[in-house]
Amino acid sequence: MNNLCADIGYRSINHFGEELCGDHVDVIELEDHSTVAVLADGLGSGVKASILSTLTSKIISTMLAAGLSLEDCVETIAATLPICSERQVAYSTFTIIRVVASEEAEVIQYDNPNVLMFRDGKITDYPKTEMNIGGKKILQSRIRLQENDLFLAMSDGCPHAGIGDAYNFGWKEEDIAAYMEPISDVGYTAKTLSTILLDEVYGLYGGEPKDDATVLAVRIRRREPMNLLFGPPSNRDDCGMMMALFFSKEGKHIVCGGTTSTIVADYLGKPLIPSIDFVDPEIPPIATIEGVDLVTEGVITINRVLAYAKDHLAENESYQKWSYQKDGASLISKMLFEEATDINFFVGRAINPAHQNPDLPINFSIKMQLVTELSDCLKKMGKRIKVSYF
Amino acid sequence: MKLMVCIGSSCHLKGSRQVVEQLQHLIAENDLKEKIDLGGTFCMGKCQQGVCVTLDNDFYSVTPETAEDFFKTEVMSRL
Repeated sequence: MNNLCADIGYRSINHFGEELCGDHVDVIELEDHSTVAVLADGLGSGVKASILSTLTSKIISTMLAAGLSLEDCVETIAATLPICSERQVAYSTFTIIRVVASEEAEVIQYDNPNVLMFRDGKITDYPKTEMNIGGKKILQSRIRLQENDLFLAMSDGCPHAGIGDAYNFGWKEEDIAAYMEPISDVGYTAKTLSTILLDEVYGLYGGEPKDDATVLAVRIRRREPMNLLFGPPSNRDDCGMMMALFFSKEGKHIVCGGTTSTIVADYLGKPLIPSIDFVDPEIPPIATIEGVDLVTEGVITINRVLAYAKDHLAENESYQKWSYQKDGASLISKMLFEEATDINFFVGRAINPAHQNPDLPINFSIKMQLVTELSDCLKKMGKRIKVSYF
Repeated sequence: MKLMVCIGSSCHLKGSRQVVEQLQHLIAENDLKEKIDLGGTFCMGKCQQGVCVTLDNDFYSVTPETAEDFFKTEVMSRL
């Protein structure tokens, strides 16, 4: 094992006027420290395509997880998929990216657009071996991984963007590569990279996609620990212990909450300097303490971080806000969603008497709820989360 | 003279941003930047009386509506 890990993110847009997407992505983590991501594109669009692609990706991921060979998977798919009544074929193209122990990637491609690989911020070619399984031509590659390697798998809705409209023959592979190259290793999450590419696809279609389009991004990155302190301990005598544990942890340190940051400043013997810069009118300003990477207000800020986290897992429309803005919630979001891979929450259960005022929309149960929901969201982003209560 | 406004959760919800903005405006308008040091602070433990403001360690409860009066009566009189 090394200290690398895979950050996997994907997004789809539907054929104009369809409620279901004909592309499907399935990601599973296996017990042998490998992760399998499958992107399947079913023939046509709508319900039929959706069933084909869901079946295909589920069959592949489940069978590979059970240790069966790729040949078995492909044969099972061919034997299982229902035959399209219009076209008389059972058909769903697929791409499989399997990352083994963050050391090696296996890429298997069947009729989807070529998987793009970026290394050190440059588009990079990689060797492919052609196999013939059940009459299907399948390309297989094995690649030794390095930090910052990025793989982009797409359904054909991406290169078909703008056909006959913006471009004569659609958005060519080399042009997509050139579009993504400058941002391939600047720290964007896999989810954000797939959003950026897909937003451009959507634009090239003029907002009315003529096919389902999906991007699956797999990014190899270094593990990055992060620690977040939120709230004073329920027993004041535990302050010293909580602080000692928090500051002994490797990685960056974020402190959330007014009272909490006062305790931290006392512990470190450094002044707490709040700013009065309201970058975002709804989010209280941040503060600084020497030795702490970020100091923010508590409940209101974390509540916004949770909203950003939920959006990041869904449409990812607000990344343009949090990835540039300098308010407390945006800064935390950037550190938790983009920088961190392993997050330790140190949550204090002290009840702030001032917050028990019924006029205020903040209270103790809301605070605990925020921590639970936020850690669930971060887990869905593929992060390792540990929550300790004091 | 040190003028501090609480920017903690509770005071934030009661309008500390508006109070800060009004004070910044009044200080600039009266050309008092050299004399008044306006800053933020976290919880003073008197959230019920927010927005909490201190003037050289004396405590005042200010709201966005009373900020201008507070400035004229309490701050200006001390100069």
